[in-house]
Amino acid sequence: MTRFYTLTLTTVLLLFLSAPCIAQKALLRGVVRATSDGEVLAGATVAVPALNIGTVTNEDGFYTLSLPAGEHTVQASYLGYTAHSRQIKVETADQQRLNFSLNAANTTLKEVNVETNTLRQKLNDTRMSVETLTAREAKLLPALFGEVDLVKVLQLKPGVQSGGEGSSGLYVRGGGPDQNLVLVDEALVYNPSHLFGFFSVFNPDAVKNVELYKGGFPAQYGGRLSSVMEVKLKEGNNERVEANGGLGLIASRLTVDGPIVKDKLSFLVSGRRTYADLLTRQVNRLNEDQEDYSPIPDYYFYDLNAKLSYKISPNDELTLSGYYGRDFFGFDDDDFKFGFDWGNTMANLRWRHKFNRNLIATTSLYTTSYQYNITNEIDVFKLKLSSAIRDYTFKTDFDLFLKGNHSVKFGATATHHRFTIGRLNFQATDSTLQFGAGNTFGGVEFGAYASDDYQLNARLSLNYGLRLSGFSSNKTYMALEPRVAAKYTFNETTSLKASFASMKQYVHLVSNSGSSLPTDVWYPSTADVAPQRSQQAALGVSKLFGRGRYLITNEVYYKWMRNQLDFRDGANLFVNDSLQNEFLFGIGRSYGNEVYLEKIKGKTTGWIGYTLSWTDRKFDSPNDLDDINGGRWFPTRYDRRHDLSVVVMHQLNKRLSLTGTFIYSSGNPFSVPLGRFAFQDVEGKGTSIVPVYEDRNSYRLSPYHRLDLSAVLKLKPKHGAADLTFSVYNVYNRRNPYFVYFDQVKDQESRAIIRFQAKQVSLFPLIPSVTYNFKF
Amino acid sequence: MKQKHVLYLLPLLAALLYGCDLSKDIEVVLPEHTSQLVVEAYLEQGKPYRLAVQESASYFDEPTVPLVPDAEAFITHNGNRVKLEYKPKLDENTGFIYTHSSPVIMDGKPGDMFLLEVTDGKGRKVTGYTTVLPSVAIDTVEWRFNKNDEALLLTSFQDEAATRNFYRYMTHLDSLSSGSKQDIFSNDELTNGKRISFGSGYSYDPGDTVIVTLFNIEEQYYEFLRSTSGAKDANGNPFAQPSKVKSSVLGGMGIFTNLAYERKVVIIR
Repeated sequence: MTRFYTLTLTTVLLLFLSAPCIAQKALLRGVVRATSDGEVLAGATVAVPALNIGTVTNEDGFYTLSLPAGEHTVQASYLGYTAHSRQIKVETADQQRLNFSLNAANTTLKEVNVETNTLRQKLNDTRMSVETLTAREAKLLPALFGEVDLVKVLQLKPGVQSGGEGSSGLYVRGGGPDQNLVLVDEALVYNPSHLFGFFSVFNPDAVKNVELYKGGFPAQYGGRLSSVMEVKLKEGNNERVEANGGLGLIASRLTVDGPIVKDKLSFLVSGRRTYADLLTRQVNRLNEDQEDYSPIPDYYFYDLNAKLSYKISPNDELTLSGYYGRDFFGFDDDDFKFGFDWGNTMANLRWRHKFNRNLIATTSLYTTSYQYNITNEIDVFKLKLSSAIRDYTFKTDFDLFLKGNHSVKFGATATHHRFTIGRLNFQATDSTLQFGAGNTFGGVEFGAYASDDYQLNARLSLNYGLRLSGFSSNKTYMALEPRVAAKYTFNETTSLKASFASMKQYVHLVSNSGSSLPTDVWYPSTADVAPQRSQQAALGVSKLFGRGRYLITNEVYYKWMRNQLDFRDGANLFVNDSLQNEFLFGIGRSYGNEVYLEKIKGKTTGWIGYTLSWTDRKFDSPNDLDDINGGRWFPTRYDRRHDLSVVVMHQLNKRLSLTGTFIYSSGNPFSVPLGRFAFQDVEGKGTSIVPVYEDRNSYRLSPYHRLDLSAVLKLKPKHGAADLTFSVYNVYNRRNPYFVYFDQVKDQESRAIIRFQAKQVSLFPLIPSVTYNFKF
Repeated sequence: MKQKHVLYLLPLLAALLYGCDLSKDIEVVLPEHTSQLVVEAYLEQGKPYRLAVQESASYFDEPTVPLVPDAEAFITHNGNRVKLEYKPKLDENTGFIYTHSSPVIMDGKPGDMFLLEVTDGKGRKVTGYTTVLPSVAIDTVEWRFNKNDEALLLTSFQDEAATRNFYRYMTHLDSLSSGSKQDIFSNDELTNGKRISFGSGYSYDPGDTVIVTLFNIEEQYYEFLRSTSGAKDANGNPFAQPSKVKSSVLGGMGIFTNLAYERKVVIIR
């Protein structure tokens, strides 16, 4: 493996050194913005279709493109905006600036059906295994309880799976939800879900777009094995104050944004809150006189996003963005008080400085944390239990545009982690009792990288880079992570892409459940716990057909994983000062084929995604007793052989659009007991049936399939704009399996067991919802 | 008033959505389960050797307890190997059904080791051992009433700092055969050498006769209890990780241990 890294490093250095040797061309550079509010458009495509060359704007909306001398038609496009083309004439060694200002389409659905060459640009993009989604697109699709969820829309893309019914966890190419790098305006968020994973923390009103990398990770990303999910928050409108929001079945939301100093300083504040607790409190109040009534506990969640953008000068821009979200569950009566709250906090100060036309630096200082707190009080006894992770990160990234079609990125990051694990305090106020537990760890994670996006010629482009990463706690780990992606264009309609990425993960989620539980804790790499590692290779071919209206992409991938974490049978993960003794380390593999057919032009648009995949783990412990499934390969809980998503959006007329999604996936592996015995205990009266579990995940649940429909009806209010979104989840009321258990069927009179019966439990039946959205 | 009517409608809507039965019977074809001997043996100072032997069954087999009449059981203490006869019998005090017993009375001091062997006609052999533990004294059993005249029960004792200790705490109302009202097992990792209290919610009423038992248990018994509890919990809890039963015996499943306990009876007043 050392030889492999040496070869990779040498190749990368040679390519860097070769950069100045490329024949000189004209250099075009500029910024792509939205016309409406002047906001820069990151990820917009700028291309010369006739030459089959193009590039993508960076997060500041900036691009550079090398062109041969001559006259060219340069086109800028961005999902949700009308493409804009301009003629330009360039000479050799010329440097020209060309800015674009794109108009958003008029109607919501049109925003998705923009008459652009987006599919062609996607064909020409060096990057592969990337899914892009705008909040506008997500708002068209049916949603559970009417709550638009960007993560659940991403689950409809090939290679991305949900953890189970209603879950907002992302399982990307065989990776767990803890192996996703979730960034909000470049700052990390540790637990991106509310309500045990049923809703994600992203308020769609505050989000501009989301990019999900499933493979071919650029070198600027590190720290997780399986995916990078980059969420961009909107910037405040620079022109006028706007408000938009929605009233839904379970939550409402409001976003206000606008200029503080026009074209200088803008703000955005966005909030969302559920209100089931208001109803349950009222029900409790109405029933408080009933003797046997058990009050319904309170539950609610809320989140707040805020962003300030300050253009100090043409070359300097300061952004302060923040997130604060909490879930709360609890009840309070005279005898017993219980509270359980959890959530993320994030604040990020970012400074973007343009040194000159060729060099831009973005420097961030951010803090992010996730914590949960449980409090319990009865009589004089009080229990407090909490866990937390808090980071302080310094990060700087440089974009350097070199002649000869080189777009170089380099930078460094350093994070101080503080882990508080299972901090317990139990005491009596009369001082008769007190004990506690908990561990605190510190760790420093660091990384430095360099990469180059280089278009060698009209047919071949490369994105290659190297990341040096490390982690230091009571042991220091370091690693080189080579990354490379290449695109070869056969002709105007066909391209071939390949990528390889090596990734390291230095923090680990201690979670013994298939669901995202708020009590899951993060644990650092230590002398006892080595970092996780993965290597992924992918190969894909894209073909544009139907006069450019359809793009079909087929990607195959293979991912190797080392130091994968699992836990001993019966592990105590809750309050345990020797948590590392419960860990098991194994290897993993995931491979599959993804087919993706897209149509984004015309009245009817949408996509079909199909994934055929395998995901296995192997835990062959030196201590045979700790082997999982006898040290053999076994499927993980999220191994799904077939996964199909069909998304159709149709604009019926100017006011009404209809959308539908259909999902089919093979059943999840599940652990069921094979045998049982009767356990009398020290007293025979309490005889119970003890299930005998053998191999993990030896049974598969029945397949999952569901159809959702929605309709968006545009209203004509006196001021602003409004719509009603009707959504029906699980239209044909399919009883999809959530879990299976084995029940005892007893005789009515004698209460003796007469037989055992397998039961399948479903979660969500047909659920209609309506949401009122407004903007003024 | 109007607002109140709307509030009444909302639960109705919720009931329409969730009232439908979301659980259904399904047929599951399980891989083959290899039946194993299952032993339950709790030795008690001053009481005869008794134990129960059965075998595990495939989950959907008939719900009869598969006894093993040809099983032979032996307990050895201080070189004295005693054979237990197969004579299924119900202990009416506790409701426990023994399959094998001997008139030999257990006489062991703390630290003494007892060995178990069980064999059957199919060539299966289960072995295990247990080390006698001392009982731990209960310091106090107290209770406190709330304004509704319901009582919280609190049992306190001192943990021995020099040893790793494992406890099981049970309460019964009126008699031991009534099934336990509380059943807690724990270790002293967080409370080593401290005064420990096991409490309850406000779940006792005036006049209740409560039998409080504090067992000082072996680690292997603690692990067996944890793992059986975990296995039972996993069957029906989608958030739980299914776990294998950690038996204290080799060659089969089950528990062979001794019961060292202190018991108090209190009347809540």
